[in-house]
Amino acid sequence: MTELRIEGLSKAYGPDAPNVLDGLDLTVPGGALAAVLGPSGCGKTTLLRIIAGFLRADAGSVTVGGRVLTGPGVHLPPERRRIGIVPQEGALFPHLSVGRNVAFGLTGLDRTARRRRTETMLDLVGLAGYGERMPHELSGGQQQRIALARALAPQPALVLLDEPFNALDSALRAGVRADVRSALRLSGATAVLVTHDQQEALSTADLVAVVRDGRVVQCDTPQQVYQHPADPWVAGFVGDAVLLPATADNGKAVTALGTIPLVKGEAPATGTALLRPEQLQLTDAASAAAGGTVTDVRYFGHDAMVTVAVDGLDEPVDVRAVGPLAVQPGQRTRIRVRGEALLHA
Amino acid sequence: MRRPSVRRLAVPLLAIGMLAPALAACSDEPADLVIYSGRNEDLVEPLLEKLEKELDANVEVRYGDSAELAAQILEEGDKTEAGLFFSQDAGALGALSKEGRLKPLPQSTLDKVDEAYRGSGGDWTGVSGRVRVLAYHPGKVATPPDSVHDLTGPEWKGRIGIAPNNASFQAFVTGMRVLEGDDATRDWLKGLKTNSPKTYESNIDVLEGVDSGEVSVGLINHYYWYEKAAEEGEDKLTAKLHFLPGGDPGALVNVAGVGLLKGAGKKEGEYAQQAADFLLGKEAQTYFAEETKEYPLAAGVAPEEGLPSLDSLEAPQIDLGKLDSLKETLAMLQEVGLV
Amino acid sequence: MATGTSADKARRAHPVRQAAKAGRIPWALGLPATVAAVLAVLPLGYLAVRALEHGPRYAWDIVATERTAVLLGRSIGLAAVVVAVCLVLGVSLAWLTTRTALPWADGWAVLVTLPLAVPSYVAAFAWLSAAPQLAGFSGAALSLTLVSFPYVHLPVAAALRGTDPAQEEAARSLGLGPVRTFWRVTLPQLRPAAAGGSVLVALYVFSDFGAVSLMRYDTFTRGIYTSYRASFDRTPAAALSVVLVALTVALVAAEARTRGRAAYTRTGTGTARPADRAPLGKWALPSLSWCGAVTAAAVVFPLGTLGYWLAAGDSATWDPARLAETAWATLGVAAAGAALTTVLALPIGVIAARHRGRVAHLLEQAAYAGHALPGITIALSLVFFAVRYAHPLYQELPLLVGAYAVLFLPVAVAATRAAVLQAPPVLEDVARSLGRGPWRVLREVTVPLAAPGVAAGAALTFVVCMKELPATLLLRPTGMDTLATRLWTETGVGSFAAAAPYAAALILLAAIPSYLLGRHRT
Repeated sequence: MTELRIEGLSKAYGPDAPNVLDGLDLTVPGGALAAVLGPSGCGKTTLLRIIAGFLRADAGSVTVGGRVLTGPGVHLPPERRRIGIVPQEGALFPHLSVGRNVAFGLTGLDRTARRRRTETMLDLVGLAGYGERMPHELSGGQQQRIALARALAPQPALVLLDEPFNALDSALRAGVRADVRSALRLSGATAVLVTHDQQEALSTADLVAVVRDGRVVQCDTPQQVYQHPADPWVAGFVGDAVLLPATADNGKAVTALGTIPLVKGEAPATGTALLRPEQLQLTDAASAAAGGTVTDVRYFGHDAMVTVAVDGLDEPVDVRAVGPLAVQPGQRTRIRVRGEALLHA
Repeated sequence: MRRPSVRRLAVPLLAIGMLAPALAACSDEPADLVIYSGRNEDLVEPLLEKLEKELDANVEVRYGDSAELAAQILEEGDKTEAGLFFSQDAGALGALSKEGRLKPLPQSTLDKVDEAYRGSGGDWTGVSGRVRVLAYHPGKVATPPDSVHDLTGPEWKGRIGIAPNNASFQAFVTGMRVLEGDDATRDWLKGLKTNSPKTYESNIDVLEGVDSGEVSVGLINHYYWYEKAAEEGEDKLTAKLHFLPGGDPGALVNVAGVGLLKGAGKKEGEYAQQAADFLLGKEAQTYFAEETKEYPLAAGVAPEEGLPSLDSLEAPQIDLGKLDSLKETLAMLQEVGLV
Repeated sequence: MATGTSADKARRAHPVRQAAKAGRIPWALGLPATVAAVLAVLPLGYLAVRALEHGPRYAWDIVATERTAVLLGRSIGLAAVVVAVCLVLGVSLAWLTTRTALPWADGWAVLVTLPLAVPSYVAAFAWLSAAPQLAGFSGAALSLTLVSFPYVHLPVAAALRGTDPAQEEAARSLGLGPVRTFWRVTLPQLRPAAAGGSVLVALYVFSDFGAVSLMRYDTFTRGIYTSYRASFDRTPAAALSVVLVALTVALVAAEARTRGRAAYTRTGTGTARPADRAPLGKWALPSLSWCGAVTAAAVVFPLGTLGYWLAAGDSATWDPARLAETAWATLGVAAAGAALTTVLALPIGVIAARHRGRVAHLLEQAAYAGHALPGITIALSLVFFAVRYAHPLYQELPLLVGAYAVLFLPVAVAATRAAVLQAPPVLEDVARSLGRGPWRVLREVTVPLAAPGVAAGAALTFVVCMKELPATLLLRPTGMDTLATRLWTETGVGSFAAAAPYAAALILLAAIPSYLLGRHRT
């Protein structure tokens, strides 16, 4: 079990350029699958390339299992890092068969051991018997799984996955994601998945690190990140958010949607209360604290997002409505809140 | 089948690449004498084969352009492989002599050739001669002129063929400069230019131009006519030759000659000396007369039948060693606009 | 964002793609590339020694004359015209053979690469003997164009095959007609390929002596030759050659600018769908005539002239045993030359494709530096160095092969660079992460992926080595002949009948790799 520890990592492309990474810290416990989540340009690809050794850091260190790979005066070349990578779209070697692709990193082994390992890896990703095929004979999802098998074959200390599911169509994506996750679990490797897709991050990873402007703003379990985001920006980035001006009053938040219990812990006197749309409920009951007019309905099948202009609020709020839908734009409705709110300054 | 394309190409490529040196190694016994020849292989190879037999030594010949070989010898300096330089013209020999790359020839060798046809420093000698002549188309020219100076007259406008980039033409102009001075030569060239002569790349082309009637007269070396006559038959040749009388600069006699190189070892030097003597001997001189239709310069051999004897030619008297001032000639040709 | 070079900006804009990186060049690549570059700039060292032999003042006086300016103007003018016509020929033929329903398109694709096999002096001779009035600028431009347009055609055809037809379809759907689509979408994408080919054509024109001397058109290179032949003073020739080097460097730098920031590698792994071939309709006949006319002028005509020489000549002059021996020797040195040139070009080509920055740029420029120099200058410089520092090699095959490498390095570098650009760089990253060092990545991933393009470059180099004359004359082992030197010998005494078999053998043997080049698909 090898832990990845990144401390104070900084990088700028050129002396006058702004920092792409700005003192980034991140720790991933051994065997965990961490997702690095951030918008385009937040520095997540740069981070991945520094961990892999393709780029040099300006400052900071990268340690895997206690071994310093990048640090002051240290820069191990990529081939000596024992870090596997799974690039976007797989990037299999088009001139080599599937088997040879998987065996590419198995340099120290004799022929039989190499073949056995290759077969094990093909089996692991559910593609036993595909060794003789050429990459172009595989589907996109199969290519991606072979890419993972290739990365895992030499038993790397760490596996990096660079938006590996981007190129797959959505129907396929969930399946391949699950396959990759289980293969990674079985192998026991520590893994870092870079993505800009919060659903992917939340559903696949054990740990989600949200990156903005070259720093990790929050690193926690998916549930924690979703339910207790570090700030309103993170809240909005990892999911749909309802943000309301609020004042704190004895462990409760007073808002236009009524008085809502606050999550335990420190809270400022006034600020922004965070709710998730699924905490709001449309109701006809007069007991609900707030009323408003439906302005828009977006229907998704399993649920629907209803936008309501609440009386006394400047910004409309989103409500996730489950079950049969009874409202239409223009209709009056009332809103009830369930659960707790998070108050940010 | 991992890297099909590379292997498919690389293997034969390398195989041939390896075989080639082996092939060259066939003739790799060290040469006793290396000759740099500015004279064309087709012209002198049979003669040099006889030389090899005569010397009973392994003789290797590197053929090239005389001036380029001279430049090569100058770059090689003392480390040259060549023992003998066989030059197409006196100019290249003069240049090597001036740079001190040639060994003095023994008097016995020098004595075989008339003083007029060897270097004044005694370090090179001509072995065969060629004469500048006027080729003319008899259908277009009733009586050919007796001097190149006549060619500046208006009646010759557009009717003259020259090869101003050819070394032989430039040697002739250099000769005129030596004989008549720069000003007179410049005036003549200007007069020639006024007549818009047709310029060709080589003497052969000039002769063809005259033969086809494209031009009426052309300035060439005598042997081109005799070679063409030999190859195609004299009766098929329309063009005729006129040897200019009265020491006219247009009748310059230039030579192909040899010099011994200083860089050669003692043994090679001896072979080179013997080779020079061979080229001045009866067999070689006869070869020049009969095969290349040039003028023999030694051993009392008479020129080919039909050629006026060297003594009967009223050639201008000139120190051939001075023909190395080509640079000034070239500047003059450029100034006038002929090259 | 404060100041920064355009490369910096490009990198910032696409940190993901990493098609070219400023990162340090691994020594495993940098060292062999430097060796190759040093070899390529050896002639410049010689030029410096010779040009400054009599002091800078002397050299300056030679260079700073009106005649230098005139000759330079003529060379540039000739190169400009030849490049322009080559672009028209190369692009039109490439488009016709790759993108239209031209009858026998594959056959034409092969035929129009064959002119590569024709030496410029043979083409010039053929035209001159048929139409003497062509002598001068028009004849020089004609013969040089007809032998060098495949330098443009080959890379442009490859680029046309590589571009994604979806972009053209998008343009059509946005209301552009086929012609405007070609001008506004297709042509801009061909710019890097066409520019690279144009540089090779221009340098070929600068360095050519055979065609311009036969056509009696005075150019800069002819001036250099005349200077060797007339003055026996190597200083003027060297001083003039320095001007040619400066011109080359300027040209290569200009070409590098046209590459701009374009990213060449396609990001997808799936191969692009081949483009539909446009039906020619009423244009089928004119298109066929166009291909036919070019082929006739560039291939059939010179071969026909040789046939005429053969028929008109005396059969006694022709010696099959000697011809076979000479042909075999020519194949050998050309193969060795192509092999060495390709090996030396590989690291430079990879660096040029994968790295940006001053060092990468310098290495590539070094490879080109001597390419416009006349063969005689390169040959004399190698004489100079070999007799001083490598005497055992002097006038031995390795030196001749080395001269070919110096002369033709850019041809192979251009091909390698283009081929490596086609290979996605992410594959190299993956290989590094799987434990391969830079050298093994090159051997096991980059080279195999670029192999078809590198092989095409090797074939091209092979052809130009076979045709080479001036350096071969000076540097060949004493007594060895190539087809080109025999051709020179025979035409030197006007025995065209005897010359014809050698010229024909040269063209036919060089046609084999040209044929493979024409068939080559990336």
